[in-house]
Amino acid sequence: MQIIVCIKQILDPEIPPRNFQIDRALKQVIPGDAAWVINPFDANALEVALQLKEHQKDCTVTALTMGGEMSGKALRQALAMGCDEAVWLKDSFFEGLDSWGTAKVIAQGIKKRGPVDLVLCGRQAGDWDMGQVGPLIAEELSLACVTVVFQAEVQDGRLSLKREIEQGVEVLETNLPALVTITSSSSNQPRYPTAKGIVLASRKKIQVWSAPDLGIAAKLARLVVIEDLTIPNYERQMQIIDGEDGPAKGARLAQALVAMKILK
Amino acid sequence: MPGILTAISIKNGFPSMGSKEVLGMARRMADQTGERVAAALVGARVSSCQQELAAWGADVVYLSENERLAEFHPNIYLKVFQDIAAEARPHTLLFPAEPPVMDLAPRLAFRLAAGLVTDCLDFKIQDGKSVLIKPVYGGKALALLRVTTPVILATVRARTQEPFPRDASRVAELVVVDSPIQSIPQEMTVIDRIEEESEEIKLEEARIVVSGGRGLGGSEAFQRLRQLARILSGAVGASRTAVDAGWIPSSHQVGQTGKIVAPDVYFAIAISGASQHIAGMGGSKIIVAINRDPEAPIMRIANLGVIEDYRNVLPALIDEFSRILNKG
Repeated sequence: MQIIVCIKQILDPEIPPRNFQIDRALKQVIPGDAAWVINPFDANALEVALQLKEHQKDCTVTALTMGGEMSGKALRQALAMGCDEAVWLKDSFFEGLDSWGTAKVIAQGIKKRGPVDLVLCGRQAGDWDMGQVGPLIAEELSLACVTVVFQAEVQDGRLSLKREIEQGVEVLETNLPALVTITSSSSNQPRYPTAKGIVLASRKKIQVWSAPDLGIAAKLARLVVIEDLTIPNYERQMQIIDGEDGPAKGARLAQALVAMKILK
Repeated sequence: MPGILTAISIKNGFPSMGSKEVLGMARRMADQTGERVAAALVGARVSSCQQELAAWGADVVYLSENERLAEFHPNIYLKVFQDIAAEARPHTLLFPAEPPVMDLAPRLAFRLAAGLVTDCLDFKIQDGKSVLIKPVYGGKALALLRVTTPVILATVRARTQEPFPRDASRVAELVVVDSPIQSIPQEMTVIDRIEEESEEIKLEEARIVVSGGRGLGGSEAFQRLRQLARILSGAVGASRTAVDAGWIPSSHQVGQTGKIVAPDVYFAIAISGASQHIAGMGGSKIIVAINRDPEAPIMRIANLGVIEDYRNVLPALIDEFSRILNKG
């Protein structure tokens, strides 16, 4: 069984707002000294793939990314977690692509890699939160597509999935090949690379493909362009509700809110 | 004439809150450009909602009704939406950012060769075309995005748009679209659906949200929060740390990786205010923070703050609310 996990390297989404800066002229975030991490949902997807591998004979898990210099680190980490192979789609042509262009490039990468049974993606990336690349790859490759899944099993060539729905969980089955987007749950928290894993990873070769390797001859159009990027100001003038003790403060808070006529 | 098409989600026989909000947004767009607002009503036994959609702002209803649409199968729904789009020829297609319809947006965008912006908060009209405002980097930044294709697709975050004031006397034109979907195989088979029994108000739709965090110290404290939520007809939320600690199910999690809410009043009780939490509730109209720590980041975004151990505040707060609200 061939599994490909698409991963993206992003700025650590946990950086506090005070360390977060943007370059308004370039319409870009200034990375500063913030850490680069594998998009958390993609790390969950890696974990789901590696769990599948534990229960399958002849299963190869390939981590695939598209990105610049920083992305190699994400692939090394994926290999250290236990992925068998890594593919890096790397070309200046791929810089600044939108979801549509990204999906086109990744779909070409997946095709070049060969027949695939299962493609896993995080449900969305924690930087732009678009949630589009996975379903777009499914369309590019004419694969069945199931979103917000947190657990996967393969039985008799069929994929059994558990996914989040509004008020609970849905259990469903789909045929392979398929593309599944992964959400976080207690069952798919990413494993830490072991010391042995890190050593093995350093010996594995990362396959690098450029635009010509993928048959992409011209820069892809952007269907969505950034007109402006700003930092919103959520800060508000806070009124402190005071009183001689806790109960007095509690009562005053209730009175203040009722006086604002915002309840009911 | 091409205009704005909204995707309608039907819940328990009625248009969902998000659908009404999206109709409201479409109405505001259309009133600036003098166009018509269309609604795509898709499902099994949904035709009775047609008049409701007119009342909530639709000028035209595209109806596709078929027993095969009783279960949501994205690939079958996609075909229907493609056919409706071909008939309606909209320049803008708006989806409520709620499951299951939001699932259709990226794949429909692909099939219509259109650009899509997900999870929008609002729009602006520039040179006669709408540009969309979307929070990025967990709400730490806002992007203004322009779609360059002739057709614009967007999903719209819940509770960011006012519904159009309901007018039962409005009438909409009806266009029936009969899609040939009988022979499309299902992409997936649903084996089981385990739904949490819940009489509670949905977090994303609640006008009042009472949330608790790490400082609560345990699951018992959520009983108090539920009591407060009940009195105010609100919903209970939680920070990721409270969920990770197992004090409350993850369906209550508010934040970048949980539910995104924008209620009229948000109570942040013993929540410090990590940026990923603020990403999920920063758009609330009034934020009330109850925290022992005056330096907690949540205090910077709160309208009302109580610097105190929540244990000393909640009983009196609940009593006072019951007293005042029961009187009136």
